[in-house]
Amino acid sequence: MKLARPLSAISLLFPLSLALFAMQQGGYQRYGGRQYGYSGDAMVPSEFYWSRLQYTSGYANGSSYGFRGFRAGWAQDYPKADNDCLIALRRLTRINSPSALSVVDLDSDHIYDYPWIYAVSVNTWTFTDEEAKRLHDYLLKGGFLMVDNFHGTDDWEHFMAGMRMVLPDMPVEDLKDDDEIYHVLYDIDEKFQIPSEVYVNTGRTYEKDGYVPKWRAIRNDHGRVMVAICHNMHLGDAWEWADSPEYPEKFSGLAFRIVLNYITYSMTH
Amino acid sequence: MSGLFEFFLKYPRSVYSRGQFALLGAWPRWVLVLLILAAVGGLAWLIRSRLAQATPMLQSWRAWVIWGLQSLLATLLLLLLWQPAITVAELKPQQNIIAVLVDDSRSMGLTENGSTRQAQAVQALQNGVLTSLKKSFQTRLYRVDNVPARIEDLKDLKPAAASTRIGDSLRQLSEETSDLPIGAVVLLSDGDDNAGGIGTDTISALRARHIPVHTVGFGREHAFHDVELDDAVIAQRALAGSRLAAKVTFHQRGYAGAKITLTVRDVSAAQPKMLASRAFTLGPEGNQQTETLMFDIGNAGARTLEIAAAPLSGEENTANNALTRVVNVGSEARRILYIEGEPRWEYKFIRQAEQDDRMVQIVSMDRTSENKIYRQGIADPKELAEGFPSRPEDLFAYQGLIIGSVEAGYFTPVQQQLIHDFVDRRGGGLLLLGGQFALADGGWNASNLTDLFPTVLPTQAGAFHREADPRNGTTHTTAELAPAGVDSIITRLVDDPAANAAKWKKLPYLMDYEDPGTPKPGAEVLASMITPEGRKLPLLITETFGHGRTAIMATGGSWRWQMSSPLGDTAHDLFWQQLLRWVVSDTPGHVSASVPAQVLLDNGALTISAEVRDRQYNPAPDAKVEAHILGPSGVSALVEMSPVPDSPGQFQAVWSAPKTGAYLTEVTAQRADSSTGKVVELGRDVLTFQRMDGVAENFHTEQNRDLLERLATQTGGQYWKPADLGKLAATIPYSEAGVTNRETKDLWNLPLVFLVLLGLRFSEWWLRRKWGIV
Repeated sequence: MKLARPLSAISLLFPLSLALFAMQQGGYQRYGGRQYGYSGDAMVPSEFYWSRLQYTSGYANGSSYGFRGFRAGWAQDYPKADNDCLIALRRLTRINSPSALSVVDLDSDHIYDYPWIYAVSVNTWTFTDEEAKRLHDYLLKGGFLMVDNFHGTDDWEHFMAGMRMVLPDMPVEDLKDDDEIYHVLYDIDEKFQIPSEVYVNTGRTYEKDGYVPKWRAIRNDHGRVMVAICHNMHLGDAWEWADSPEYPEKFSGLAFRIVLNYITYSMTH
Repeated sequence: MSGLFEFFLKYPRSVYSRGQFALLGAWPRWVLVLLILAAVGGLAWLIRSRLAQATPMLQSWRAWVIWGLQSLLATLLLLLLWQPAITVAELKPQQNIIAVLVDDSRSMGLTENGSTRQAQAVQALQNGVLTSLKKSFQTRLYRVDNVPARIEDLKDLKPAAASTRIGDSLRQLSEETSDLPIGAVVLLSDGDDNAGGIGTDTISALRARHIPVHTVGFGREHAFHDVELDDAVIAQRALAGSRLAAKVTFHQRGYAGAKITLTVRDVSAAQPKMLASRAFTLGPEGNQQTETLMFDIGNAGARTLEIAAAPLSGEENTANNALTRVVNVGSEARRILYIEGEPRWEYKFIRQAEQDDRMVQIVSMDRTSENKIYRQGIADPKELAEGFPSRPEDLFAYQGLIIGSVEAGYFTPVQQQLIHDFVDRRGGGLLLLGGQFALADGGWNASNLTDLFPTVLPTQAGAFHREADPRNGTTHTTAELAPAGVDSIITRLVDDPAANAAKWKKLPYLMDYEDPGTPKPGAEVLASMITPEGRKLPLLITETFGHGRTAIMATGGSWRWQMSSPLGDTAHDLFWQQLLRWVVSDTPGHVSASVPAQVLLDNGALTISAEVRDRQYNPAPDAKVEAHILGPSGVSALVEMSPVPDSPGQFQAVWSAPKTGAYLTEVTAQRADSSTGKVVELGRDVLTFQRMDGVAENFHTEQNRDLLERLATQTGGQYWKPADLGKLAATIPYSEAGVTNRETKDLWNLPLVFLVLLGLRFSEWWLRRKWGIV
């Protein structure tokens, strides 16, 4: 057949190129080759461990980042975003956190040793009954969960499907500007939508139909914020691209202030 | 028994116990000794020289047995030649007064064996004791309850007095009759004294006059079936909603091994409320047993609690199964200042634990960054705006202080001295936590506050250690209850003591620990921890210091008890609530009033004391202090309290509660301000107490033989049973009190002496018959 050769060539080249692209996930060494404390490094005893939640993805990743579809959603922006946050935390607060990054999951009770966890792309998360119960207990005993990077109505529905398995009855409310969480460390009186790295090429701060940023939370009976929800924004990219000249500093600045406030809030409330 | 004694030894036992042995012979003693040696030696020589001619059987140790018997005989005869005698003081007949005291209190009215105890005493006296005493002495009759009162006739006795004070009565008698020749005192009583025993001053007064007290005990020494509560110790003050412990001491007869239910009920309101009820197994008969009951005290107010043992079947006396105690429950919330040097989980979880405790508020300041302090729990925006307080009135406004991971150098010398005064002078509570900048690692071992701490901190830093790897580590720091923590309300997570110790063992491991050093002698280690290296270190150490108290919780990682326990487990929150309540519960206000006992039994006399301090918690001896007392049936009094000399700031007033019931006292202190001249109130305190009549006599109804025997032996008298009173008249003369003669009594003509002589001779003769001649 005439087409056989080009077809077989494509079928060979395609995985090859994919592999080439996949290899690029190894790291952002092109940004100066700095040594980052990736999860492969040894754990140093710390008061605070930056802990990213690893979960099982139940939906196809419908994001526009084609080449990231090979990674499960939980690892988006990992590890540079997390590491940049840790650097800011060490620099700007007295929180003791010399340790390398940490990835936690809901498979065992070890999660209870990390009272602050961060989860991204939570429109793809699903839980077994045991995992949901563990996260439920974790939050009610005093744990704090920050969720980030999911956009639009569909993503919200998928996120809430998972959230309702964990906290079936607790209402989601909007956080106001004068809420204590925005004044714990920094006084954040003005907030705006924090876009992903797509903004650099498109000038758009939104994705899908997530036009308006939603700063939301779920509180416990005493009014303590247990789940801090960053919907229609992408703080992870703002941390990750903070050292890029093209990405506007104002987004990164706000993103760092937000996360440091959220962490300080969780350690004081 | 004593009859046999007197038959062989001719004189009563008291003669031998009091008398002095003497030899009346004219020749000196050394002659006697010489003669004895000569006789013994001579006999020995005699026997030895004749040994060869003796029968074979005697040529051995047996000869020396014979020698021994003969020597004894010779010694005894020689001794008798020197006229052995005994000299003893004897009361001169008719020149001495014997005081006969009969206990007239209500307990003597108890019926046993068909008649009351007092009737038995009267009968014993009338059965010849009085007449025999009157033969040789003058007698005076007294009835005794609170005080001795002379009576003319035994008919004037009526056992109705509400309480007995034997010691006071004896002392008063001794003083009243100081110019009379009292030869001896005979006390007929059951020993049930309500003054708590006989004081040494009473004994000294009697011994100074050489008056022996002969006690005659009435009443059954042991009940057959009875449970009696001896004491219940409960804190006099508490914060609303506190958990309290009642330490109940009791004893029983006839129910060893049985189960008994102890209860604590709130009887303040019309409807009594059950606060605690637990069953215990009774120990051996007669032993004092102590058990602890825990209960929640409830809301504010003056609480009257009844601690009772449910009556067991067949109990003879159920009126002694209940005790009453009064607790003043305060409603003012206590404020604790918590300073933390870094955001950390322990801080969050301590605040979380306290959010459900209305009575304790934490006002905290957390150093979130190098130059930012985040304040929580403040009453208004100005509170702590300048940082940690530097003035006494600012810091002393709090009742407790928690210092977290903050280095000593963070505080100025003025602030450090203020912390010292906060505990020492103000009476506040200080709690230090472990952390990377705490205790030794924060330079506190080199600070001026080392005398405040309950431990001697390690000399070097490096005492703080975090859990190495929470996910993969195999050895961790665990906590356990220490012996002193078994009975402590701070560490009681579960009511049952055994279950509590097991609960502590099962607590999740600690995320970090810090070596707190060596506990000081006066400190209590309530909990310990075992490090991953296997070292056992103190975890929770408490101590009182000055007017206040200090404690160290040598970890910043107890938050794992909350996160790693099942949802709903209250161990972490309960522990911190109880610890923080301990830190602030006893912190006094500017006025601190107290009475020695909050339950007055039969006697309304009490002394109200108050300690008054000014705004800086210095003593205020120039204050005007008044106690406004409200009692039952409209009793109302305003009593001025006068300063106690040599104790600046202490005030006292003596008052007497006229009626039974509950009394409420408010003590207020005022002073004229030095600058404005206006009279300002320094503070006020509320105090409650109760008078209960007719209750004391239901307790200690067994004859207190121990007290009567001790009283007799310490004064040189003797304890008598009513049946043996016939010999009292014969023994009484042997006393050194009053007007006495020194009598000499011969010992040579004792029947015992003749018996011994005969016995020696007879045994020698019989042995010679058996063994042969020498």
